[in-house]
Amino acid sequence: MGSLRKLLLKCEKPSRYTGGEYGAPEPVWGAGGFNFCMCFPDLYEVGMSNLGIKIVAGSFEQRGMCADFCFAPARDFGEGLKELNVPLYSLALKAPLKDFDMLGFSLQYELSYTNVLYMLDLAGIPLTREERRGGNYPLIAAGGPCTANPEPLADFFDIFFIGDGESVDADVAQIFVECGGANDDFYERIAALDGVYVPALAEGPVSAAEKEGFKVKRALISDLDGAIFPTRIAVPNCESVHDRAVLEVMRGCYRGCRFCQAGFTYRPVRKRSVKTLTAQACALIDGTGFGEVSLNSLSTGDYGRLPELIASLKGALPPEITLALPSLRVDSFEGQFAQDARKTSLTFAPEAGTQRLRDVINKDITEEEILRAAQRAFDAGYSAVKLYFMIGLPTETDDDLAGICHICEKIRAIYAEVKRPKALRISVSAATFVPKPFTPFQWERQIGEDEVRHKQDYLIKHLPRGVKFSWSAYYPSLLEAVLARGDRTLGKVILSAYKKGCTFDGWDNLFCESGWREAFDERGISPHLFVRERREDEVLPWDFIDMMIDKKFLLSERRRAYDGKVTGSCLTGCHACGMQKSCPAARGEYDSI
Amino acid sequence: MIAFKYTKTDGAEYISHLDLLRHIDRTLRRAKIEVKYSQGFHKHPRIFMGNPLALGVRSVSEYCTVDTDFCGDFLPLFNEHSPGGIKCLAAKVTQTNPNFAESIKACRYEAEGIAPFDVHEIQSCASIVITDLRGRTVDIRPRICSVEWQGEKLLFTLYCGEKNLRPDLFCSYLSQKYGGEAAYILKTESFGTMF
Repeated sequence: MGSLRKLLLKCEKPSRYTGGEYGAPEPVWGAGGFNFCMCFPDLYEVGMSNLGIKIVAGSFEQRGMCADFCFAPARDFGEGLKELNVPLYSLALKAPLKDFDMLGFSLQYELSYTNVLYMLDLAGIPLTREERRGGNYPLIAAGGPCTANPEPLADFFDIFFIGDGESVDADVAQIFVECGGANDDFYERIAALDGVYVPALAEGPVSAAEKEGFKVKRALISDLDGAIFPTRIAVPNCESVHDRAVLEVMRGCYRGCRFCQAGFTYRPVRKRSVKTLTAQACALIDGTGFGEVSLNSLSTGDYGRLPELIASLKGALPPEITLALPSLRVDSFEGQFAQDARKTSLTFAPEAGTQRLRDVINKDITEEEILRAAQRAFDAGYSAVKLYFMIGLPTETDDDLAGICHICEKIRAIYAEVKRPKALRISVSAATFVPKPFTPFQWERQIGEDEVRHKQDYLIKHLPRGVKFSWSAYYPSLLEAVLARGDRTLGKVILSAYKKGCTFDGWDNLFCESGWREAFDERGISPHLFVRERREDEVLPWDFIDMMIDKKFLLSERRRAYDGKVTGSCLTGCHACGMQKSCPAARGEYDSI
Repeated sequence: MIAFKYTKTDGAEYISHLDLLRHIDRTLRRAKIEVKYSQGFHKHPRIFMGNPLALGVRSVSEYCTVDTDFCGDFLPLFNEHSPGGIKCLAAKVTQTNPNFAESIKACRYEAEGIAPFDVHEIQSCASIVITDLRGRTVDIRPRICSVEWQGEKLLFTLYCGEKNLRPDLFCSYLSQKYGGEAAYILKTESFGTMF
């Protein structure tokens, strides 16, 4: 670290780069014959809040292997490293990334793709698989939700992990050790595993490979309660975006909202028991000293034993520890939770302004439920509401936008019914809908620039006075859709964009629209090609991934959407999505844990 | 209350003041040393820190007070649960808050790497005007207590509080004037009416 002292003093938040966090695992170089570096293509304070990377690193540790971390350095530090000719290093061991056996990138959002190239570049590793061929470089692997459609990144990675990463990632490492390296034998063996996609074995347009019956099945952990969960975790040196202990209460979601990719790719719903969660929470608080425990899942309100869990946690944890319940659905909100956290603002996500459109997207909550939840929140002392909506959902018209305005008016009326000590604050946020793979809306188009502007202008004009309105910019949403739905040809565009200085695309202040526009032009590829409506008989770039969801089910859900029919959640009965064999809920076991 | 002296070295010198407060809070929670909370609407643990140390400056003389009824052996318990580089050197039970942010009047530092110069030059100056980090011109001469050489090391004492002078700022003035570059600034002692 000594040689970097001057750079550390010059850059923002130097403690991002020094390692030595309290409670951080102490990897031993060479342990178990395999050195793994878990890479997160965003800043330290974002990555340190991510639970998934700790689970994956933990699964390597569990097998006695070396597992270290690396985060994308901010631009000031990255430039400094380049000037000093110091290759990007891992957090704990300060080992150059190129000395590891495998770099595993966690792909949480599409707009982090250029940061993968940024990190490889800083590490002195050639960016494409082609350039690395024959050289002595680590295996470059990726996992996380974005690998549902790995093709846009196929040029850069050696291995993609699809699905749950708890065991298959480290299985691959084991095979690497057994094969004595990344030889043909190694690739042949790992390609046979569920959850492993080796893009080199599917060269050429994947539509051709698909026709030959090339399929990659996702990895699935059926026992979440017994799955690895790291309870000794590093306490970040500087404040992270979610500065608290995190429990994963459930994986998967019963609801099946038709726009939500996670709601389909994380099926079936698997849960941890109250007993396991309580033990994990206590171990986490003991080990980290955090003042808050967050109960995370896609929809924590659907955890059947939530009251029991809350009671158990309150009984077992020190009294000053607060519980955070993100992702509570409107209909599961209860005033009593509200009083626990000393917060003044509550967030609801009705997603659409009218009942008709909420039926289209299968978000089966009614306006009455939204208003009742708001009422309860106000009575519990809340004085601010945040409402999340999407614009550009299939079948949306101006009437649905008017609905957003009406909800705001009604919420305001409810607040005014009683004299309350504080003025009400309402903020509305409208994101542009991004049709994602493996959802019933995967065939839909994304609305164009003029429509986006029209809808945003409509809301700016018609939202009641005093409502704070924020919206997402057009181009980043387009890019997100393109990268989510694209194919292998996009690799060249991503590379060009990176070479033009695009990194940290998910950061509003760092996003470089002109760089991306030039990159598309330079490669002669139109981004609009990827956001058009797809024919139902078209081979989609991600069709070769077997998410275990029946494509026919997705199609029938699409039809039901256009008919305005609600399918409802899995809790009201099984809708035969294709997961039945592995799904406890399909067997009627909603409360199995 | 417990008043204690601690270090900020071995990488901890890159932790900001606000983050340091968080680390001390968490260390105490891990050590199961119960801290009293303020009784306001936004309750916060009653931990009272000394003046912030400039980022990158190491120290073996930081001070902090914690409002607690704990009366066990504080030092080993704290050190067992604290992050690397943040280690307790001494602890004492006190009835009143020593208010280190106010009561520490001056601190002694040492630094290496600054080109040799005659310390009398500084002592005999009536005023030394520099531009501080915010672009304001200030006379730092009244903020300098003493400067002396001990072999290769420069030892210097600067005032804190109202007449505060950052040691890194002082060192960069010296390097500008005399050449060399200060490496490894270390705060070695604090002076005032502490205990």
